[in-house]
Amino acid sequence: MSRSWNDMDEFEEFLDGGGIVEVDDDMPREYREAVFAFIEMHANSEYMGGLTERDWIPKTPGLRHKMSVLAKTQDEIGHGHLLYMVAADMGIKTRTEMLEDLMAGKSRFHNVFHYKAETWGDQVAIAFLVDAAALASQQAVFKNCSYGPYRRILKRIISEEGFHMRLGEDRMRRIAEGTIIQKEIFQGALDRWFWPALQLFGPDSKPDDKLLRWHIKSERNEVLRDKWVQKFVPMMHSYGFTVPAPDLAFDDETGKWDVGPIDWEPLKKTLAQGGPDSARRIGEARDNWERTAWVRNALNGVLQ
Amino acid sequence: MSAEVLSTAQETEVLRAIALVDDPEYPGVSIVDLGLLEHVDVRNGVATIGLIPTFSGCPALAMIADDVAGAVRAVDGITTVVVTWLTSPAWSPARLSENGRTALATEFTVAVQIGSSTPTCPLCSGPTVEQSMFGPSRCRAVHRCESCRETVEVMRG
Repeated sequence: MSRSWNDMDEFEEFLDGGGIVEVDDDMPREYREAVFAFIEMHANSEYMGGLTERDWIPKTPGLRHKMSVLAKTQDEIGHGHLLYMVAADMGIKTRTEMLEDLMAGKSRFHNVFHYKAETWGDQVAIAFLVDAAALASQQAVFKNCSYGPYRRILKRIISEEGFHMRLGEDRMRRIAEGTIIQKEIFQGALDRWFWPALQLFGPDSKPDDKLLRWHIKSERNEVLRDKWVQKFVPMMHSYGFTVPAPDLAFDDETGKWDVGPIDWEPLKKTLAQGGPDSARRIGEARDNWERTAWVRNALNGVLQ
Repeated sequence: MSAEVLSTAQETEVLRAIALVDDPEYPGVSIVDLGLLEHVDVRNGVATIGLIPTFSGCPALAMIADDVAGAVRAVDGITTVVVTWLTSPAWSPARLSENGRTALATEFTVAVQIGSSTPTCPLCSGPTVEQSMFGPSRCRAVHRCESCRETVEVMRG
């Protein structure tokens, strides 16, 4: 079943023709590493996102929202699990090695999980702004992804993230149509989360981006980011909220919103585990991992 | 035309409307194919619909009920819609229709486990082995295919 290619040119020709790579194929080393790194970061982000969501289960107002937060937590952890399995199959790191690297602060996860969610308003802003950004970037991968096992998992993840979006809109409408205090809380949260959500897309894609060339991603970062801006700036305005961008301008000619210059320093800091809440988050994940070691040991003992 | 005949024709319309409601997590898969619909009753413009959750803590319940109510309200002559989540009978994977199973397998690489049978891989039909009792949802486990190594989610009771 395993296919192989003589050189990178032949492999790239296969990818350009819409070829799908499967786990047993003898893919070029660079491709294997690039796909693995991408999936590992996605898995880490689902896992760290799930832990964040979990923190809010006891603090979530109302049974309806509490159920949705519970379910979202299970979704994110479940997605992480599926993705770690797919990543481990690539034979670069085992699942345990990936988790240990994450706990040791050696691997990356999405910038948004390096910030602290201060209030319930932050959780709503995350569900509203960040989940939409994550979904948009996942859709752009799924659309054309050349790695089959990841593409098939993504299809399920995206359907579930679409469901989270609806839950997020439900949460958002309730707080946005609430009391003056609730609106103030939500504006504060939007002010904190607008830029991190926008930066989730990353800086402009380089012309020779390997992820694009190998059809792992199918859309440039700046294109996705712009679509998000064009959707969320008017939506925030329509609910009566302001966008925390001092240079925000509407271009009459293009009919588009421009958020002005983007400061990429905060993104760089988060990628080096130096975000405002990175140390606490990684530390908590590590404590949790260590505290539950006995469960893994017991299960491994039973299975052996 | 007697009132009884009228409601039967309307019931068909109502059923048709409900069949177009998709599961929020599986776009393209109808809740009827998933076996969530238990009964429909239409009398004097009042539609009473009984649904069964895959599990009682499912977070999609409110959303599914809203979607069903919206779809049924759009049927001619329906003035009131009452959607209820029933506590019995319990849902089981045996309630999935053939259509539902095929769509889950081909569109989402999701297998279905009936009773204690061994689920088969949607890609290669090989047997799968459970890796975790729970996946992203309470109604699904995570399996791996022994033949092609695919990571497969399995819907089970």
